[in-house]
Amino acid sequence: MNFVKRILQEEYPFIFALPAFMWQLFFLYLPLVSIVVFSFLEFSPLQGFLGFSFSYYVKIFKLVYLKVILNSFFLALFTSIICLVISYPVAYFLALKVKRFKTLFLFGLVLPSWTNLIVQIYAWFFLLERRSIISKLLCYIGIFSEPRHMINSYFSTMIGMVYCFLPFMILPIYTVLEKMNRSLLEASSDLGASRFVTFRKVILPISLPGIYTGLLLVFVPAFGEFVIPSLLGGAKKAYWGTVIVDKFLISGEWRSGFAIATVGVLFLGLFIGLLFSVFKIVKVLKTKRFKLKIQASKK
Amino acid sequence: MRAIKIQNVSKSYNQELILDDLSLNIPSGQFFTLLGPSGCGKTTLLRLISGLETVDSGKIFLGDEDITYQPAYKRRVNTVFQQYALFPHLSVFDNVAYSLRIKGVSEKIVRHKVLHLLAIVRLAGREFKEIKNLSGGQQQRVALARAIACEPEVLLLDEPLAALDFNLREQMLIELMDLQEKFKTTFVYITHDQSEALTVSDSMAIMNHDGQIEQIGTSEEIYEFPSSCFVANFVGNTNIIEGVLYIRDNQIEFKVDGLGDFWVFVPKKKSWMVSGRKVFMSLRPEKILISKKKMENFSNHLVGTVLNVVYKGRSTLYKVRLKNGKLILAFEQNEEHFPQQEDICAQDEVNLYFQKENIVLLER
Repeated sequence: MNFVKRILQEEYPFIFALPAFMWQLFFLYLPLVSIVVFSFLEFSPLQGFLGFSFSYYVKIFKLVYLKVILNSFFLALFTSIICLVISYPVAYFLALKVKRFKTLFLFGLVLPSWTNLIVQIYAWFFLLERRSIISKLLCYIGIFSEPRHMINSYFSTMIGMVYCFLPFMILPIYTVLEKMNRSLLEASSDLGASRFVTFRKVILPISLPGIYTGLLLVFVPAFGEFVIPSLLGGAKKAYWGTVIVDKFLISGEWRSGFAIATVGVLFLGLFIGLLFSVFKIVKVLKTKRFKLKIQASKK
Repeated sequence: MRAIKIQNVSKSYNQELILDDLSLNIPSGQFFTLLGPSGCGKTTLLRLISGLETVDSGKIFLGDEDITYQPAYKRRVNTVFQQYALFPHLSVFDNVAYSLRIKGVSEKIVRHKVLHLLAIVRLAGREFKEIKNLSGGQQQRVALARAIACEPEVLLLDEPLAALDFNLREQMLIELMDLQEKFKTTFVYITHDQSEALTVSDSMAIMNHDGQIEQIGTSEEIYEFPSSCFVANFVGNTNIIEGVLYIRDNQIEFKVDGLGDFWVFVPKKKSWMVSGRKVFMSLRPEKILISKKKMENFSNHLVGTVLNVVYKGRSTLYKVRLKNGKLILAFEQNEEHFPQQEDICAQDEVNLYFQKENIVLLER
């Protein structure tokens, strides 16, 4: 009772946040929670609900599924890193160097993602097959001895992944750089920093939040991606997403599907949480050490 | 600590000429102020000195060294920016340490120097605060400490107090003067506020709307002996009256239509002071004595009707219409706590008295 009273009296702003909270609950947490809950329930076609059990987790407790999750993990990791490497210069020039037609360039960046994903992927089929211009060009330069298929490989999967997720990396970095106060660059050069030092000590640190957002926006959906690897990769490798799709749509093992989904989400959550905590701890320790040094030199 | 010499510098933006053939010497170790109206090109001049812009033509010297085309990061000239431009991702300490660390100064010396500087600008104990958690005055002081950290030969201040409220501004002005004395660095201070300029400067240059330097001198020289109507008007209040000169023997008379003759004393006769020449005179409002009574011992005398009286605290401003229909302003110090016996109100007939030494003749 006391708790309710305190909430009503002191934390009344909380009440105004309730609609947002409810929205999150219904549209974000409820589906997630239901997946987790379903993965623990046991049904039989004849007797109906049997009770809680770990049986589906035991069923998927196989090296294959660990490998599947690791496959997805590395696919997401490589996609994020390649996207970052390509995106940063693009975002940098777009935000800081391009003076005119900025909106047009931005529009050009997001325009491809307005078309259907399947269409985008099939476009790559034509670009990567044996008789494609790219294949012929590589032959002409001398990289290939004869025209080759480039689809159905890890290479083509990566191309498709990077291509599709690129805007999600460019836009957050672009936004941070665009918002950055330009006089900071002048201040930096005024204080003796060359262009390179200014980039390292001012531009890069200020754009870090954009980089983090971009990495998150690319890594998480890339981890669950199933269309691109199965179409462009020729389904040679199994991924978390493709396995779940198989369980639900092909073999009809819904419960196992729920269990795999839960394990994957858990893995993802742990990985990102771990990363964040390591960053945080390092930062806190660094400042603490520095503060101690300052205290020492004050005496 | 070296002087700055600006030689025939021109600069234009988007085909608009901002600075045209400007030359200026800024002596070393001084608190030098560039005073001019908004948009007159003083910030442009500052950016040329700091290296953030390059000249179209002309040369800039730091001492004997030609720094015209030296990039900003190599110049030993630092700037306190108008909006401070503090690094938001760094703490107060790291902001101040920025230039020292770039130079590769050892961390031990950095710590020592930065703490010392922060103590001077009265920010000791706030080393780890984030910039966004500081007040305007504190941010200003961080910007100052940051700019002075690697001991520049010249410190440029671009209207650094514009964003502060009145009381804080007064206080910071005095702190700036103290700092300048402590560091002996050449300060180049930009402002459009004449009272700021008069307060702080060892010497100042007045820039007009066209980006030309009108006059250079100490505060007193500029105020008491302005060289043009623009300077007289821009620095303090003044009455500008047009008239014709008459020179007899060594006496100078100034004839104004409808008002009669004034006696003028000129310490040094200029070449343009010839009989029959149409010139201007500047008369500061506070040099005029306003009274209903007749008085002796004044070289010049005028009669007029008071239009209105504005009480301004430390002084009272009288707007008086003269016989020829022109308006003249007169300031009277409110020295006494109780209203003066002689109460001057609107519509009163008054006498205006002033000495011939207080008139400044101006060619333009």
